[in-house]
Amino acid sequence: MKRRGFIKNFVRYMAVLVSGTIPYFLSYLLAPSVKATPQTRIPLPGALADIDEFNQACIRCGACGEVCPPQCIQFRDYDGRHSLNTPYINPENKGCILCGKCMEVCPTDALSVTPITKVRMGIAQIDRAACYPWVDKGICGACVSACPLHSKAIKFDFANIYRPVIQKGCVGCGQCVEVCPHPSLAIRIVEPTQSTVTTHKASASGQRALPF
Amino acid sequence: MSYSKQATYKRLMSLLSIENRKSSRPRFVLRRHLNKLRWVVLSVIFALLILLPFLHLYQTYLAAYGYDLLDADKKFIFQTMEELTSPFTDNPVEDLDNIKGTTWTGTLFGLKMSDPLAVVGHIASTLTIHWPLVLTAFIPVLLSLVFGRFYCGWICPATLIYELNYKLGSWLHKAGVKIGQRRFDLRLKYWVLASGALISIPTGAVVFANIYPPAIIGREIYYAIALGGFGAGAVFFLLTLGFDLLVARRGFCRYVCPGGALYSLLGRYRLLRIKRNATQCDDCHKCNSACQFGLDPMRDDFGQECNNCTACIAVCPTDTLEFTASFKDVEFQGPGHLGHRYKKMQQQQLTGKERAE
Repeated sequence: MKRRGFIKNFVRYMAVLVSGTIPYFLSYLLAPSVKATPQTRIPLPGALADIDEFNQACIRCGACGEVCPPQCIQFRDYDGRHSLNTPYINPENKGCILCGKCMEVCPTDALSVTPITKVRMGIAQIDRAACYPWVDKGICGACVSACPLHSKAIKFDFANIYRPVIQKGCVGCGQCVEVCPHPSLAIRIVEPTQSTVTTHKASASGQRALPF
Repeated sequence: MSYSKQATYKRLMSLLSIENRKSSRPRFVLRRHLNKLRWVVLSVIFALLILLPFLHLYQTYLAAYGYDLLDADKKFIFQTMEELTSPFTDNPVEDLDNIKGTTWTGTLFGLKMSDPLAVVGHIASTLTIHWPLVLTAFIPVLLSLVFGRFYCGWICPATLIYELNYKLGSWLHKAGVKIGQRRFDLRLKYWVLASGALISIPTGAVVFANIYPPAIIGREIYYAIALGGFGAGAVFFLLTLGFDLLVARRGFCRYVCPGGALYSLLGRYRLLRIKRNATQCDDCHKCNSACQFGLDPMRDDFGQECNNCTACIAVCPTDTLEFTASFKDVEFQGPGHLGHRYKKMQQQQLTGKERAE
């Protein structure tokens, strides 16, 4: 009898424990994570928005790489998209300094001269579960000090002056990714349409990010 | 002057030792030395293609103020480039941008120039005409309308390597190794050009850039020096060298190269041509063996394939071959003045004249 009661109790406690996790799953379903894959191959500043159009227009001369002062422009190997030898920037390696030399030197319409606030290479996204100030593991601000667009693109949070928040003016140059001291890179460049800037802004101004 | 009079005149001259002095010092003919000049030009362009990535590295080090952080070998590059550029410029970061790029497309003191093949590829892949790019090809097109396929002989960085490869083939042939001597139809390369333009439309990529040797070389030298490793194009270029050595001599330029095809088409009605004076020619056939494109200058049909390399002019012992300004090649003139047929023709003409008289 004793053993039977023990098994019964064990099953009951386990059921309670498992049912206790249901709210967590519910909250997870209600606030799905944004499927923004971090980009390691971002387009050049002033590039044509459509990657296929860019591949058509680029004549693979490599002139953009030859004028780039920080030498951040690299060239693709074959990846099945007819983009052999076209340029890209890997912000985890080196970010763009938005000097505009590649736009000037490009002989085709693949890169057109654009003012740096109108450039759309991507948008930065901060992982708030990793970033040191956001998890209260110290003060950093490396991304804010590295940003070439200053307060237009990234600012410290109003409530907590060490927490960086991305603004709408971010062009995705990747300077912040290059300097981020976190081993897993708490800040990444994602495609501009996949940004979570609005939700970030909502939480920064005191509203709740979750719908309930 | 009859024959006996001529002989006495010559003997007199030899006695006065005027003729001897003249023959001991042959007069300077500029066009005989153009081939050497061409080698100098090719070497300078190839050296520039190697130098430019190093200058680019020097610029990046300067822009980052990072001399103290460099490795020893990079410090060596920095110091060498500083010594090279310091007599010419005080502000290398900005001024060295004046010479950039490759022969595929590049900037020369503010003047942007592109290969016409790049323009054709761009038009084919985008199906639109981007005028700033088309205008950069204006000077090359104009020059090739006048000089024909001169780019292939005088500028193309691949030509330097292909000609060295040709020499290597000749040495191997002398040593007894069997090398490829096949001949194909010269019109094959026009089909390569047309099919390349057609493939560009559905794939949406400038496919010429992947197979055109000057584009490959310019790109790969930059990759190797600045980005630390050759790309996929280097393998293709090595394959073309193998094709030249094992299948057909100078085969890639003559039968496959789409850029050569485009320049040939542009230079079809070119102004500057090489002409043979049959009255001076003594049928030694040195020009035929000197021509790497296998054009047979003795047959007088240079056509649109001639790349003005002037190798035939350089080897001619009687200075028979020379440049003329004409839109057409000379028709087949027959063998030179020492040939039996030439003598027979002369006799027939003489007898015909006599008969007429």
